[in-house]
Amino acid sequence: MASIKVQNLRKEFVTSDSTVVALENASFEASGHVFVSVVGPSGCGKSTLLNILSGIETPTSGIAEITENGKKARNGYVFQAARLLPWRTVMDNLLFVQQDRDAKTRERCQRYLEMVDLGHTANQYPGQLSGGMQQRVGIARAFSIEPDVLLMDEPFSHLDAITGRSLRKELHNIWQETKKTVLFVTHDVGEAVELSNRMVIFGKGGRLREDLKIDLSFPRDPSDDAVALTKANVLRKFEELDLVAS
Amino acid sequence: MLAELRADTLAPETVYQAFATSLRRLVTGFGIALVIGIPLGLLMGLFKRVESFLHDFVVVGLAMPSLVWALIAAMWFGFVERSSIITVVLASVTFVIINVAEGVRAVPKDLLDMSRAYGTSDFHRVRHVVLPSLMPFLFASLRYGLANGWKGLVLAEIYASTSGAGWTIRFWYDARRAQGVIGYALFFMIFALFAERLVFRKLSDRVFRWRPSTDSQPPPEAEGSVQVSI
Repeated sequence: MASIKVQNLRKEFVTSDSTVVALENASFEASGHVFVSVVGPSGCGKSTLLNILSGIETPTSGIAEITENGKKARNGYVFQAARLLPWRTVMDNLLFVQQDRDAKTRERCQRYLEMVDLGHTANQYPGQLSGGMQQRVGIARAFSIEPDVLLMDEPFSHLDAITGRSLRKELHNIWQETKKTVLFVTHDVGEAVELSNRMVIFGKGGRLREDLKIDLSFPRDPSDDAVALTKANVLRKFEELDLVAS
Repeated sequence: MLAELRADTLAPETVYQAFATSLRRLVTGFGIALVIGIPLGLLMGLFKRVESFLHDFVVVGLAMPSLVWALIAAMWFGFVERSSIITVVLASVTFVIINVAEGVRAVPKDLLDMSRAYGTSDFHRVRHVVLPSLMPFLFASLRYGLANGWKGLVLAEIYASTSGAGWTIRFWYDARRAQGVIGYALFFMIFALFAERLVFRKLSDRVFRWRPSTDSQPPPEAEGSVQVSI
């Protein structure tokens, strides 16, 4: 079972004339088949948290690790933009992040492409696909390495409402099927309520302000009363915590 | 001109011999320019200190007329093969350096972060992320470096050689035969168009086949690449 452990995490960015604290004394743990949303206003260190967990950045102090049965876990990462290599085909983009490149791996990649309904695009270049399709390739890439944990950084924020909605449904189904641990960064409270069973709220200066459980049954429709009510409650919480810009 | 094409000429070299000699010098010189320019460009793009050290030299090199290189090479080395080749190197190497340096700075950081997050090996990252994003810049340096090297070469052959296309122009000029000079100018045009159509475009179509727009000819030069020519 995969587990995410963040303990007294601090990250500061030092520039020539100032020091910006992105994360301050953040601690939380998550493991198993959970979908944790990380929510907060922009500039609260949400993306930095994912970058540290994935190894792109190093923490100033504290612990941030993802383990699978005590060993270092393998992470899939879905970015805000698809971040595909434009000069490689869709299939080659998936193969790029694999450890092996044998026939079995290729087959697995094809399977995950089909999971996002893009099996037919394997030999096309990313530039030939729409933004939504590219984002789905990005999701297939993250799943194709069969990760222990999936990190997602506002993966649907660049997409139009309808595409975003269908991809959220797709993501939820895949999560139910594969039983992965997901850490999902977003600034959209509605999206977080719809998808996650736990919500971690960060405030300005990268402080962890609240850790909420969301006990609603799936599937959740955004127009459903209970879902809408929960969203309103979370937004009220935001106001209480003074996270809403006046 | 037709007589020239039939290799029926008063000049000591036929047009084929002259172009073969010049082309050999151009390729040798530009090959050396690539060997020197690519590593220097990489270092310049990667390290601020190399950049600040080399920057002024490169700017001076870009601004220097090829004629000056040709004359200097002629005076230092005399009427030997070397002077023509060295002129080509000097006239083209700065284009290679500055374009490769720009290319290194243009490698998309988000793709590098992506490959780091997925734990790909350094070799893989260079092979599949860094090199492909350098390609448009290498192309620009190829095209403009070769063009400028060619101009330098012709001048060097006029002043410091006893063979080649430039020297044959000089021959016709000394013989007061305008048709010989004009004929060679036409050969240059044909040669340039031939290189563009058959070599560059084929090569760029192949290297950039991933680019979405295939309707019109895709401009292979990257934005920000340096294409000055003097």
